[in-house]
Amino acid sequence: MKHDEPPPVISPAEEASPPCQVACPLHTDVRGYVAAIARGDFEEGYAIAREPNPLIYVCSHVCAHPCEEECRRNQVDEPVSIAALKRFVAERHDLSLGHGPSKPAVEPKNQRVAIIGAGPAGLTAAYDLARMGYPVTIFEALPEPGGMLRVGLPKYRLPREIIDIDIKGILEAGVELKTNVRIGQDLTISELKAQGYEAIFIGIGAQQSRTLRIEGMDLDGVLLGVDFLRDVNQGKPVKLGKKVLVIGGGNVAVDVARSAVRVGNLGDEREVHMICLECREEMPAHEWEIIEAQREGIVLHPSLGPNRILGRDGKVVGLETIVCESVFDSEGRFNPSFVCNTESVIEGDTVILAIGQASDLSFIHPEDGIELTPRRTIKVDPDTLATTAPGIFAGGEVISGPGSVVGSMALGRRAAISIDAYLRGENLAKLRFAEPQKLGELPQKTVEKIKPLIREPMPLLPLEERAFNYREVELGYTPAMAMRAAHRCLTCGGGAYVDTGKCAACLTCVRVCPYDVPVIKDGAAFIDPTQCQACGVCASECPAKAITMKLYSEDQLYQEIEALFATAPASNPEPFIVGFCCLYCAYAGDEWAESVRAQLPPNVRTLDVFCTSRIDIQHLLRAFELGADGVFVAGCVGEECRHTDKAVNRIQGKVQFVKEVLNQVGLGGDRLALYNIPSAEWGTVPRIAQEMAERVRTLGTNPL
Amino acid sequence: MIIAEQKPLDEIKSMIADYQKVLILGCGTCVTICFAGGEKEVGALASALRMATRLDGQNKEFIEATVQRQCEYEFNEEVADLIEEADVVLSLACGIGVQTMNEQFPNKLTLPGLNTAFLGQPVEQGVWDERCQACGDCVLYLTGGICPIARCSKSLLNGPCGGSQNGKCEVNPEIDCAWQLIYDRLQALDRLDLMMEVKPAKDWSTSRDGGPRKIVREDLRLTFVEEKQS
Ligand SMILES: Cc1cc2nc3c(=O)[nH]c(=O)nc-3n(C[C@H](O)[C@H](O)[C@H](O)COP(=O)(O)OP(=O)(O)OC[C@H]3O[C@@H](n4cnc5c(N)ncnc54)[C@H](O)[C@@H]3O)c2cc1C
Ligand code: SF4
Ligand code: SF4
Ligand code: SF4
Repeated sequence: MKHDEPPPVISPAEEASPPCQVACPLHTDVRGYVAAIARGDFEEGYAIAREPNPLIYVCSHVCAHPCEEECRRNQVDEPVSIAALKRFVAERHDLSLGHGPSKPAVEPKNQRVAIIGAGPAGLTAAYDLARMGYPVTIFEALPEPGGMLRVGLPKYRLPREIIDIDIKGILEAGVELKTNVRIGQDLTISELKAQGYEAIFIGIGAQQSRTLRIEGMDLDGVLLGVDFLRDVNQGKPVKLGKKVLVIGGGNVAVDVARSAVRVGNLGDEREVHMICLECREEMPAHEWEIIEAQREGIVLHPSLGPNRILGRDGKVVGLETIVCESVFDSEGRFNPSFVCNTESVIEGDTVILAIGQASDLSFIHPEDGIELTPRRTIKVDPDTLATTAPGIFAGGEVISGPGSVVGSMALGRRAAISIDAYLRGENLAKLRFAEPQKLGELPQKTVEKIKPLIREPMPLLPLEERAFNYREVELGYTPAMAMRAAHRCLTCGGGAYVDTGKCAACLTCVRVCPYDVPVIKDGAAFIDPTQCQACGVCASECPAKAITMKLYSEDQLYQEIEALFATAPASNPEPFIVGFCCLYCAYAGDEWAESVRAQLPPNVRTLDVFCTSRIDIQHLLRAFELGADGVFVAGCVGEECRHTDKAVNRIQGKVQFVKEVLNQVGLGGDRLALYNIPSAEWGTVPRIAQEMAERVRTLGTNPL
Repeated sequence: MIIAEQKPLDEIKSMIADYQKVLILGCGTCVTICFAGGEKEVGALASALRMATRLDGQNKEFIEATVQRQCEYEFNEEVADLIEEADVVLSLACGIGVQTMNEQFPNKLTLPGLNTAFLGQPVEQGVWDERCQACGDCVLYLTGGICPIARCSKSLLNGPCGGSQNGKCEVNPEIDCAWQLIYDRLQALDRLDLMMEVKPAKDWSTSRDGGPRKIVREDLRLTFVEEKQS
């Protein structure tokens, strides 16, 4: 599939991609932005994370982060805190630099596209199509855009100004938005066509609560989950008693229950209970959501089915339950079975149903030619998302049923690609989407060599401050925390690649690799990307320069060295000192990120590298060639090395070699020094730099 | 393989003193593997020379290139433009490469940046030992696979001599006595009988003593014409 303008993000990768990226429905380059954060390049991290994701601010708060589940660090300890890192870059991003990538230079097109529904799916489809040059109009039933983000998700998880940021970026890309227009009521699909919309995207989501056919549903005090959330979110009055029973065990049910805790600020005066069919372990809500709910005092009643709602004088007084012994039958179908004579009653004055959502498809008329599925979703071609009516496409929860923000966005994006193809007259039958290939698991022998690293804990709002307000609970990382969290990434597949044409089969890489990855195969080195830990030792040692690091290559370090000199103080009486610092060590504590670096005088410049093993002799020589008066390399003490002391040994060898060269050149080897600093002592770096400067002063300035 | 090491920087500096634009030309085979003249070394030397010559107040230009095997015309041809452009070539190949270059590009002088040292074995990362002297008449079958020509300081065929001390050579206590090694090895193989055979004087004409050597395989030559059997 080829596109001349904005490249579709859903595209086959030539090489196996890291599992985090494959797991993300938008195939976000997680590894790339985590690496940028690891280096302290937070804006770069934002740009990479934003590239495929016009709802980055929203996602940074509420994405269900399937990437973390797939993260290969799970095989060693715990996943990289990908979600928290995305939030970190989004929060720090300077919006005056723009929301996302600038609009590609494309020829404006004149075929108009209508998007029904301003939820994640519709917004993404609209954004992509606008960037391709189409005039796009979104028709949204509600007064404000966002879909479930605005009327479903509780504010304490997703502050509304966050949604507004993303929506602003989307509208700025050239999307027209018409709110308070309900298709089916204010306008029909045929009217849209008559108005000249050549393609239509249906992204109306699943906005209706499913109900139960049990006794007592008509009692006063029975509410529907999604309606309840919509009212709370729109600031409408809701009538909630003091003992609320929420039926359901999914994420929406947790949101309902936690919102019920907050409504009206009753504090301990209100009890909230959750009743669900599943046993505790099988509750479909995310574990972290359930734990937070329990912390807020919500009482769980797992393995119970609702039998009937009890009432007195037309008002709810309780729920009769029955023990549920299994939810699915042997064929995996939803088919709960209950235990006879286990009825019991939970008292309560309010019952809220949060057992699932469905789409309101009443606006679709037979003459529209849009077929539905037996599950009451819109029928689409799974590849192109074309409905049975030509020119009409659908995506998001209206085709998938309840899902996630990012999953709905990916469907919106796919539909946008199809709509573009359709409008350009391509044969849709030929449009096929390939999923990227996933990098394999870490082999056990590699797992054993990887050092476990503590997952950076997320600071949370203290419990006493949170229960009765709508403030967000997670407080976000500081820069030092974010960098440490990012340093845990294994840079899967971003490590060493061999140019077999250049390889002399010298065996150096085979010998120096701390993880025993390279082997000689068919006469040249072969480095298995599923095993490589991207330490960079091999690349910096290869005498044939046959190895390149995919992420953060040797050339990039040269460029950074050059850049550092380009901004060096013009005339400074102080010796100019360049320090190559191991990122992993430097940021192991908070000091370096937060204070030490700032203490360095202007004549001392540091370059952060992923482990000193990335530095090669030419990098060191280059710094002197460009005029450094002194150079120091600051790395770990052997046992603290993220890799192994093999890496430590190699930098010692390289420094020794370069010192000898400097002696021969006539500059003096004493201008170069290696320091092995325990991670707790990185506060001493300014003193080291000072020491270096003193020593260099006696040698005189570098005459180059 | 051929083991070489870089010449001292001062010597290189004086060799190139009269030239302005210097092509530093590496070789991707033996000298890459022994860290003397591959692409990495070319880069490091260029950097060192840029600094050293600038410190001497000169403004020389250094071009960097590496070919796969400098002892072959075809590979060198690939960088003919760069050779043309340069005032002189500083080769980081072994002596064979340097001579190939001089022969192939008669209008350009190619200088040796390395000392070609010996035929050796990389015994561990960063350590190379001499193993063969290319005598042209291999005796390893008599000595348990240990070369007395290359590894005995005196190239004795009937060793050891009286200077063998605790397994070391009197020439330098760092050097293993080759004949001790041969003895130990033959003993282990239960072939000490080979030690008892007195080896007659070796015919050195296949070695350097017969003048420069040459091997011709008529069958492989592209000018080959099958001779009529008479
Ligand atoms: C309580 C709750 C919490 C959730 N939490 C998370 C979470 O933490 N993380 C996560 O990833 N996902 C979460 N989700 C799921 C996520 O919100 C949805 O997957 C996503 O919003 C679906 O996007 P969509 O565009 O398909 O539909 P929606 O977001 O439902 O948007 C559909 C839009 O279409 C409009 N519309 C409907 N009918 C018409 C019509 N006839 N004419 C015009 N407009 C119409 C609606 O008003 C709405 O704005 C949650 C969902 C709920 C309900
Ligand atoms: S370790 Fe890094 S690259 Fe690998 S899966 Fe996890 S986040 Fe992705
Ligand atoms: S170090 Fe370089 S030349 Fe040597 S085997 Fe590895 S890739 Fe090949
Ligand atoms: S040395 Fe490091 S970068 Fe090279 S193959 Fe081994 S783990 Fe990968």
